[in-house]
Amino acid sequence: MAESVIVPMVGKVVEVHVKPGDHVSEDDPIITMEAMKTEMPLVAPTSGTIKEVRVSPGQMVEADDVVAIIE
Amino acid sequence: MSDEMLQKIEEIESFRARLVKGGGDKAIEKQHAAGKLTARERIEYLFDHGTFNEFDVFAKQLGRHYGLDKAEVPADGVVTGYGKINGRDAFVYSEDFTVIAGTFGEMHGRKVGKVIELAMKMGKPVIGINDSGGARVTEEMGALSQYGQLFFRHVRASGLVPQISLVMGPVAGGQAYSPALMDFIFMVENSSYMFIAGPPLVKAIVFEEVNEEQLGGPKMHATVSGVSDLTTADDKDCLERTKELLSYLPLNSGEMPPYVDTGDSPDRTSDALLEMIPTNPNKMYDVHKVIKEIVDNGQTFEIKKEFARNLVCCFARMNGHVVGIVANNPIYMAGALDYKASQKGARFIRFCNAFNIPLITLQDVPAFLIGTKSERDGIIRHGSKMLYAYAEANVPKLTVVLRKAYAGGYLAMCSKDLGADFVFELPTGEICLMGPEGAVNILFRKEIAASADPEATRRQYLDEFQEKFVNPTYSAGLQHVDDIIDPRKMRPKLIRALEVSMNKVDPLPKKKYGNMPI
Repeated sequence: MAESVIVPMVGKVVEVHVKPGDHVSEDDPIITMEAMKTEMPLVAPTSGTIKEVRVSPGQMVEADDVVAIIE
Repeated sequence: MSDEMLQKIEEIESFRARLVKGGGDKAIEKQHAAGKLTARERIEYLFDHGTFNEFDVFAKQLGRHYGLDKAEVPADGVVTGYGKINGRDAFVYSEDFTVIAGTFGEMHGRKVGKVIELAMKMGKPVIGINDSGGARVTEEMGALSQYGQLFFRHVRASGLVPQISLVMGPVAGGQAYSPALMDFIFMVENSSYMFIAGPPLVKAIVFEEVNEEQLGGPKMHATVSGVSDLTTADDKDCLERTKELLSYLPLNSGEMPPYVDTGDSPDRTSDALLEMIPTNPNKMYDVHKVIKEIVDNGQTFEIKKEFARNLVCCFARMNGHVVGIVANNPIYMAGALDYKASQKGARFIRFCNAFNIPLITLQDVPAFLIGTKSERDGIIRHGSKMLYAYAEANVPKLTVVLRKAYAGGYLAMCSKDLGADFVFELPTGEICLMGPEGAVNILFRKEIAASADPEATRRQYLDEFQEKFVNPTYSAGLQHVDDIIDPRKMRPKLIRALEVSMNKVDPLPKKKYGNMPI
């Protein structure tokens, strides 16, 4: 089953740590984003393979945006 | 004469033996095949061996229609009684899914109500185990009325004795509000569901196609709705975790939580804490590590771990004394307080206060979450719950400012001004009305704009501002904090402050009750 990595709050993408095809384990960082003047990782909600990455560094994101999909 | 007595005993006991079989061997087999224990097996596992005493096993079902009046419904589908859990008393009701799907009939409801009434009178916790197909439709108003009676009793018992709900099967319809009115809800993976209407009804009325798991499974309730406090792997895990939670709780609100000699020295310092909190305020860390370093043997019991992860709420011990810990977690949403975190925190704080559990607050908060979404989510209405809960709490309240302590977030995380008894600040602490960068941009807007090198000018004002207002000696100089402490000594400092606060007396003004924003 596919699971989405979802943005919890408005902010900016600082770094993208994965590309499609990468294998990730639960809690691995997918991207680092900056919000409320703090950098923080968005981590994998589950283990699997990255199917899609939808953001790039410097991009603004909003709450509930999907940054990546894990299969 | 004695033969006659023995024969009477024999008759009663063989009747009892039939009743405790519940729905019989076939139904029990089915329950096991679903990965579940039976109502009685759960009780056996939960209570110390041989301490459980059942009452009302002979209670008869009260259905008068549709042929049920002639049916035998053993114990009316719910096992009730009391026993000892790790040597301490508790009352229990455990729904028996093997008996017409554990459906909630009138007598079933009366039995559960009696459990709560007795628990209130005797000052003992209530454990409610739900595994039921919902209201027994054939009993109509008899069942509905008992739901009402059950809700009424949960509310009257609230804050008097701990009420723990174990959802170990389906809980559907009106009955879902029974766990919701208790203090904690544990759910079991793959076998528990909670919803006010199941998939068939949802499809018929609002045209949504959804399965039980998506509609009200443990994952949804732990991560999205926040209804569940803990997801457990299976029945035994759920019961073990219940014993663990009870070890932190007093039997009733008139008692102190149980002291345990944990063997961890109150004087223990920790060099690891020097590295744990980054001095760069833009870098994140996981506050769980800090908590584990300061509490006895690194042991905690976390509530709503997967919901609003930007705020950690857990029970732990400090030199054997139970405490409730509330901590911002910068690794998630920068530790900002959003509406979900505020709801979670306020409920935990109010539980601790009701049951005499001192509060330790660890601050690293950039603010209440700002922005369009947050305002529309009602951050003003929900954020005020944190303020309310801390200000109302009159148990010992200790706070450590780990790093950021900005604006309303600072106040909401148990500042001196909301009644903290002791506030300590680490050298990395930054208590201020608003984030320094924002403050400088407002205060020196004209100067920065007029400068030949705006960025350099901004940086200069920022450094000056930081030096002058955003350092621990400034806040300590104004008595907002009692002391600036070495992070390595956080544990001994907190334990001494906790122990000197143990006999705290702080009565609230006499009133019926406050009007908390809900």
